Amino acid sequence: MGAIAVRQVSPAIGLSKNICHLPFVVGHSHFPMRLYLLLSLFLAAPAFAQLKWDTMEQNVKAKPGDHEIVATYRFTNIGKTPITIDNVHTSCGCTTAALAKNDYAPGESGQIVARMDIGSRTGHQEKSILVTTRENAKSPTVLRLLADIPEPIVMKPSFVMWTIGESPTPKTINIKVTDGFPIKLLKVEADNPDIKLEVSEVRPGVELEVKVTPRDTKRPESATLLVRTDYPTDNPQTYYAYARVR
Amino acid sequence: MTALRQAGLILVIALGLAGVTAAIHPKRPALLAPPADPNEVTLAQTKQWAGTVLWVDARPDAEFASGHIPDAVSLNFENWPEAFPRFLDSYSPDRRVVVYCSAKSCQLSREIAEKLRASGLTSAYYLEGGWEAWKQQNLP
Repeated sequence: MGAIAVRQVSPAIGLSKNICHLPFVVGHSHFPMRLYLLLSLFLAAPAFAQLKWDTMEQNVKAKPGDHEIVATYRFTNIGKTPITIDNVHTSCGCTTAALAKNDYAPGESGQIVARMDIGSRTGHQEKSILVTTRENAKSPTVLRLLADIPEPIVMKPSFVMWTIGESPTPKTINIKVTDGFPIKLLKVEADNPDIKLEVSEVRPGVELEVKVTPRDTKRPESATLLVRTDYPTDNPQTYYAYARVR
Repeated sequence: MTALRQAGLILVIALGLAGVTAAIHPKRPALLAPPADPNEVTLAQTKQWAGTVLWVDARPDAEFASGHIPDAVSLNFENWPEAFPRFLDSYSPDRRVVVYCSAKSCQLSREIAEKLRASGLTSAYYLEGGWEAWKQQNLP
């Protein structure tokens, strides 16, 4: 990925001086000079650049068992004056961003290390890290952390519910291993004998259909469905679904 | 006539440069505002649902402990495995679930509401302005 510079653009500088020295007035037409001025306004070069980032966006794919996502953003002060990073702020309490120090001399490099707790997050996540320098306090640099956190097992839905007095007809939970995960579904059981399960294999070890039926719905019932797997081999995980009569 | 041509040329050049800037500038504004999210609700809307709302607090446990909407259930990405069964014990299909977090800038409420819908809830909303909006209304 190419380097990206964070530029501090000055206002159009020295315009009045330029007007004095323009040699483009020809006859009664001032058009070339006007055109020159117009182009000058649009094409005025930035005064200087200070922090140059190796990348401002990191895309990380979490692996099974990961508890956090770590992304590093390296930068260099390519300006001619020292720069002070006053504040590094993240868009989510789940993400921290660490900076070894605040002041960077011309030519000096540093890095910001962002860590995102995965917790129960799944799917595509987008977090921002705002970096504010003393020299450009009103325009923080926005670093982006894009994370893909695969869900090893998908249960749709992850709970079934009946209201008191409702007909105790079966409700179905589909349990499926996400492609690419070496997981085998071994067994599904309920921790309450008054909640009956009927398990059928759609694809052996990979996809199950579980019909859940309460014995009756005269009173509140609660059950946890334990989905046993063989993965990882040293500490096989159990996943949970729920049934309620309320 | 010459002046008119010159003005036209300046306009064409300006529009061309503006178009290039609009296409490539990293801080260009969105030309079309994103559609309003039907799952985001205001405090005024939730007042119309009085008595049927199940409040879900998506903030970290420490913030929940220091103050929350009365009868709210704590449910966040860190405590989900233990808290989701407790949430189900409070939930019933006739209740509207409204998730909140700290303030308007906070995304946790939207994310938790999405996760609840993915879990099987037919509707889970999130509160515009979050806990900050609640406190600004001097609600308990």
